[in-house]
Amino acid sequence: MDKTKIGLETHLQLLTKSKLFCGCPTTGSEGPNTRICPTCLGMPGTKPRVNKKAIEMGIKIARALNCELPEEMNFSRKTYFYPDMPKNFQTTQFSVPLGRNGEVTMELDGKEKTVRIRRVHLEEDPGKLKHVGGNITSADYVLVDYNRSGTPLCEVVTEPDLESPEEARTFLRKLADIFEYLDVYDSTGEGTIRSDANVSTGGERTEVKNITGFKDTEKALRYELRRQKNLKKRGKEVERETRSYDDSSGTTKSLRTKEHEADYGYIFDPDLTRIELKKRWIEELSQEIPELPHEKKGRYVEEYDVSKEVAATLCSDFELTMTFEKLIDNLSVETTSNILAGPVKKVLNYNEMRFRESELNIDKLRNLIEMVESGEITERNAEMILREIVVDDKNPKEVKEEKGFGKVEGNEIDKIVGEVIEENESAVEDYRKGKEEALNYLMGQVMSKSQGRADPSEARKILKKKVGI
Amino acid sequence: MIRLKYRDMKATEFSRSDVDKEKFYSLLGRELEKLKGLNLHRKIDFGLEKDGKLSGLPFTLKDSICSEGDPTYAGSKILEGYRPPFDATVVEKIKKAGGNIVAKTHQDEFAFGTGCTNCAFTTPKNPWDEERCCGGSSGGAAGMAAALDLPHINLGESTGGSISVPASFCGVVGLTPTYGVVSRYGLISFANSLDKIGPIARNVEDAALGLEVISGKDEMDQTTVESEGDYREALEEDISGMTIGLPRDYFEIADDEVSETVEKAVSELEQLGADVKKVKLEMTEAALPTYYIIAPAEASTNLAKFCGMRYGMEGELEGNFREYFSKIRGQGFGEEVKRRVMIGTYTRMAGYRDKYYIKALKVRRKIINDFKHVFKDVDILAAPTSPVIAPKIKELEEMPPVEQYKIDKLTAPINLAGMPQLSVPCGLNKKMPVGLHLMGNHFDEKKILKVGHAYEKQRGKINYPEVEDDG
Repeated sequence: MDKTKIGLETHLQLLTKSKLFCGCPTTGSEGPNTRICPTCLGMPGTKPRVNKKAIEMGIKIARALNCELPEEMNFSRKTYFYPDMPKNFQTTQFSVPLGRNGEVTMELDGKEKTVRIRRVHLEEDPGKLKHVGGNITSADYVLVDYNRSGTPLCEVVTEPDLESPEEARTFLRKLADIFEYLDVYDSTGEGTIRSDANVSTGGERTEVKNITGFKDTEKALRYELRRQKNLKKRGKEVERETRSYDDSSGTTKSLRTKEHEADYGYIFDPDLTRIELKKRWIEELSQEIPELPHEKKGRYVEEYDVSKEVAATLCSDFELTMTFEKLIDNLSVETTSNILAGPVKKVLNYNEMRFRESELNIDKLRNLIEMVESGEITERNAEMILREIVVDDKNPKEVKEEKGFGKVEGNEIDKIVGEVIEENESAVEDYRKGKEEALNYLMGQVMSKSQGRADPSEARKILKKKVGI
Repeated sequence: MIRLKYRDMKATEFSRSDVDKEKFYSLLGRELEKLKGLNLHRKIDFGLEKDGKLSGLPFTLKDSICSEGDPTYAGSKILEGYRPPFDATVVEKIKKAGGNIVAKTHQDEFAFGTGCTNCAFTTPKNPWDEERCCGGSSGGAAGMAAALDLPHINLGESTGGSISVPASFCGVVGLTPTYGVVSRYGLISFANSLDKIGPIARNVEDAALGLEVISGKDEMDQTTVESEGDYREALEEDISGMTIGLPRDYFEIADDEVSETVEKAVSELEQLGADVKKVKLEMTEAALPTYYIIAPAEASTNLAKFCGMRYGMEGELEGNFREYFSKIRGQGFGEEVKRRVMIGTYTRMAGYRDKYYIKALKVRRKIINDFKHVFKDVDILAAPTSPVIAPKIKELEEMPPVEQYKIDKLTAPINLAGMPQLSVPCGLNKKMPVGLHLMGNHFDEKKILKVGHAYEKQRGKINYPEVEDDG
């Protein structure tokens, strides 16, 4: 059997305040061409000047991905003509990348897998094209917005170690997690993770360009693998070529074949002086690398005695796990981890949100968990409150009052159980005859009548007693 | 008469004189008008009141140096009509010191040339003989220094000899500083690892003042270093005891008459007490090929941005962007530019990159070491600036490119090394000026200025040709 081999070249936008080679802000005004200057517009006579913060982020990334670092780094010019590139060359790194020969270990179906990292380097993002009145082929005209021009990108290139689209997606998520832990990246922004994928199913490989996001990577790879396998089934060879992913149709289209492979004519960028990567500087920066996801996960299992699954869930979202660590200063680890890895994560996933995008914060969660711990509300109530407070800025206590949540006292449960027995004579009969499911049905009635406020174990006890067994 | 007051006045004396700015600038306007026939410059609007220590001293800028709102075309049709939205750092410094930018001087298109015959707009004429060229690529600047007899300083730029060669051809002083001493921010790049802005003037003292004004570390150009400050302070120092090296092969390469003129100048330096010593440079022959790989490789990437999209020349939008870019570049670039873009693109292509571009970088390192080695034994080097005197414009236009490139043969090595050079006029040959080239180790500007100044005093005054008013 031919083996599927996938290698990714992934670009992540770095969270610097200013651009890579000028002082323009990377975020802020969204009006087209409002965050630009002569330098990021490549006006004649301008010269780049490197943003030290971006280099420092790059060094941390290279270290966190277990890469070897060179003694000095430089930038190169990659020349090709495109309207979104003000200089018609991209300033990037070529022969001496910031990091080489690294690796990332991730978990797949409970097993560990190591993906080798070929290189990590820094480069500038081009501007954005806006096709008006259609797509790239049918637009009436094209507008160019250079706000993004010069935004720092980190490119991570893997060896072809990934064996399926799912693995590729898991890897990207893992990579994004590491970047978020380093506080150099925000995975919630639009277009902040873009990949080109090299795909082979045994024969020639194809390169699929322009894939944005995690989900689309999986989708694009699925399509490309199917296309290659179908070709083989029909007895055709896969051609070495560059293909482009079209997210609207979920398909890949040929861009150019091997003979037309672009030649970028790399030269060193003579405006940017070499940067010495002094040992002390690298060591200082390495000190700032926080505990990374896999390290944290191991520690949670060891130190807090939570299950591997709970630990993994907590660590999959940097803000979530940091909130967890703060909350357990004065709340129980068990309840906190259960609530965060349980209902909180569930509601976030339902809304397709990362913690940092939600309206949740540490105070709200502390209130919520305290209510659960004191028995004021049930875990089920907690989930219902979370649904409200994840998207809207509301206080959990208020939501509880509003909904009338709150644990029902013993005598009230008594009353509800009495009512349920009266209203469901046949189920009661069934149960008395030995049908266990009947009891579950009756419990359901009790919970629904109490709007989930009744403590299930207490209610069950009372129910059993009343039915008379 | 006001004209007499400023005759032969040095730029360094200007701020000490009591300047009636209105009268001075109207005189300057008339004098510039008189030079129109020499095709040296493009007029720009300038004001009268300038505050600062220079009291409104006039400066001209090579066409590739950006000044806010002024036409800045780098000698190319593709930039015709372009007015930069910002000042180059050197311009900012001049304005801050109270200098006044009064003209843009013509140059070879993107500085590709040795005689300004590659300028898209005009061809500057040599004030000594209008049939001859001014040299290149800062030809307009050197011509201006020779033709305008009013205190002023011209800024040129050198990549492979573009300050020294025209200074030599026009009989004026050209100072090319060490790479990094002057900020390149706002200079339209030719080859970024080689480009250096420097002053062209009638005398060494004015050139030193020019460097003082424009030098210094600049956060907008990462390759810059701190300025040495007062470049005039050592001018009057004694040069006796200094060792001056004469690279033998430079004198052999130059025309006999040129070498003889320079040798005579060297003997005057000996009379002033300098020790003269013949030295051997090993890498001279390798310099020109190395230069013609590195410079076009860098230039071809710099010129990629000119495509009729954001500034400069525009055309009818037809076809896809590639077709449009090709059309504009085809129309906007001159022949020599196209040649160098092709050479540069070729030498950095995958498959040729190691053989040419990377190899040239290694040879460049050897050239630097060659000079470093010689500077262990001598303080400075002296040689002819150019192998020839200014060629006739017609001859140059008909000369094959490689022959033209050879005019830079003696300046390309030191430019590749990024070391400072001073061309000082040292006599005439066939009634045309010859340049004495003084070359120093990195950051040894003061040494070459001192020797240049001492020689100049010994040599005496130059009688510049009178420019006839053809209006």
